[in-house]
Amino acid sequence: MEIVVCVKPVPESETRLRAASDGMSFDPEGVKFVLAGYDESAVEQALLLKEAVPGSKVHAVAFGPPPRTEEVLRAAIALGCDLATWVEGPAEPSPDPMTAARALARALGPVPHDLVLCGKQAGDDESGLVAAALGELLDIVDFGFVVDLRWDAARSCLTFRRGTEAGEEHWEAPLPAVIGLQQAWNDPRTAKLPAILKSRRAPIAKVPWTPFPPDVGRSVPEKFELPAPRTGARLIEYKTPLEAAEKLVRILREEAKVFP
Amino acid sequence: MTPRVLVVGELAGGHLSGASLEALGSALSLAGAASGVVGFLAGSGARAASAEFGRYGVSDLRCAEGTDYDSGPAARVAPAVVRAATDAGADTILVGGTTFGRDLIGRLAARWNAAAAAGVTELRAEGGGVRVRRPVFGGRATETRRLEGPRRVLALRPHAFPLPPEAPVEVRVSPVAVEETTAALRSAKRTAVSAVSSGSGPGLTDATIVVSGGRGLRSPENFRLIEELAQSLGAAVGASRAVTDAGWRPTSLQVGQTGKAVSPQLYVAVGISGAIQHLVGMVSSRVIVAINSDPSAPIFKVADYGIVGDLFEVVPALTAEVRRVRGL
Repeated sequence: MEIVVCVKPVPESETRLRAASDGMSFDPEGVKFVLAGYDESAVEQALLLKEAVPGSKVHAVAFGPPPRTEEVLRAAIALGCDLATWVEGPAEPSPDPMTAARALARALGPVPHDLVLCGKQAGDDESGLVAAALGELLDIVDFGFVVDLRWDAARSCLTFRRGTEAGEEHWEAPLPAVIGLQQAWNDPRTAKLPAILKSRRAPIAKVPWTPFPPDVGRSVPEKFELPAPRTGARLIEYKTPLEAAEKLVRILREEAKVFP
Repeated sequence: MTPRVLVVGELAGGHLSGASLEALGSALSLAGAASGVVGFLAGSGARAASAEFGRYGVSDLRCAEGTDYDSGPAARVAPAVVRAATDAGADTILVGGTTFGRDLIGRLAARWNAAAAAGVTELRAEGGGVRVRRPVFGGRATETRRLEGPRRVLALRPHAFPLPPEAPVEVRVSPVAVEETTAALRSAKRTAVSAVSSGSGPGLTDATIVVSGGRGLRSPENFRLIEELAQSLGAAVGASRAVTDAGWRPTSLQVGQTGKAVSPQLYVAVGISGAIQHLVGMVSSRVIVAINSDPSAPIFKVADYGIVGDLFEVVPALTAEVRRVRGL
């Protein structure tokens, strides 16, 4: 099975978030970037499938700026990926997820891909657009929010489950397919030191990126805001529980706008 | 130029789902008038549900009928949606941010060469384009983005938008020409749906609203007060460590340092004093409400709004009030 796993560098989860000086986007200055959490699961799942299906190869692919994109590809190699391809994207402004998906799809065109695995979304922008967009651009089926992904060799199909509002769906799908993974069978492995050292010299295929024409939609960041520091609760004054409930619901709808 | 908006409806029991109604409501405000909004439904129940759009003033409905869409992956529906949007002269597609909606918009945006945004909590039309706000980094920050290009596709965060007012009109249904899909799209097959998700669904960590209960509930039976409030809000249920340690509820519901970290739009802490171990798991929620009888409880220091009082009186009143305003 030719497995492709798409990976993205995101700020470490403990990062103290800061807006860039123009206030328009997240400031990546001095921030440590790591392999996105769900992508880590996708790599783990890719390696598990490779181990389960003899003759499989795992090819890690990423789109993004240096040096962080190259670093996460090396991390993927250290974990056990066989090949790596880097589509070098611009640092600023950071490309939106649809641009990333289009760039990845273009790079994947000539790459053999029976199964394309992605994390279901990245922990920074949380869009979850890439897997579905890749499915469309590669003209193959895609599924997001997937758990328990397995290869049924006897029937030559993938089986998996996904949680939806209606309950838990069980699916069978033949290859090729794109999967947006929620969870691998087990917790992602950690790379061993010799593998990390070896990954530093591993070859990475580089693919140039050229911007898409203006009639292809994209989104551009305009403002990045952090919540104001908390100063203690505003206590609701009331005489009866009903009055407390009415006041709170009104505040939540009209001031805080957290539910309609 | 005001946007012309196609709303993809999702049916639940023959009716438009709450998420679809919210999408319809924001489509109406984005387009400025019901004449600028077009409905879309797919599946064997599409035509029968046409009045659902008419109830809110939308008279133009595009239907892609056929059982092929009923259990299909979103991928199978995408060509029909794009065909309908193009036929209707729409430049914007809105969907509710359900599992289906979130799977769908990536396909739509790719197929339509459109800009896309998911998890949108605010949107407005501006100079022929659309500007959106959405939480990022697990709710620890909010970004504003401008969607550029002639077309755009948006998935809205559930519970972030009001339902549209009723304004019944007659509906004219136009069929959508079904496009051939590839073999891989046709052969994927849903084999079963179990009613209860075994933890893989949009659970505690993905929820827009979380209601958590603590020791103040005094007994496991009283935890139903939390579940009822959560149900009225469409929220996930969480618990403090005191509750899960006591075995009142499973540890999978525990919010905190040794449990799950959550950052919903709204976190309601009921009968939770606010030990540091709990606070680290929920402090990045956008809005925090605390209900506790002890005015000196540390939870009030991190909460935005507080009710000091007897939860056994306040919570049932709150549940009833939420049900009333949401028409449940």
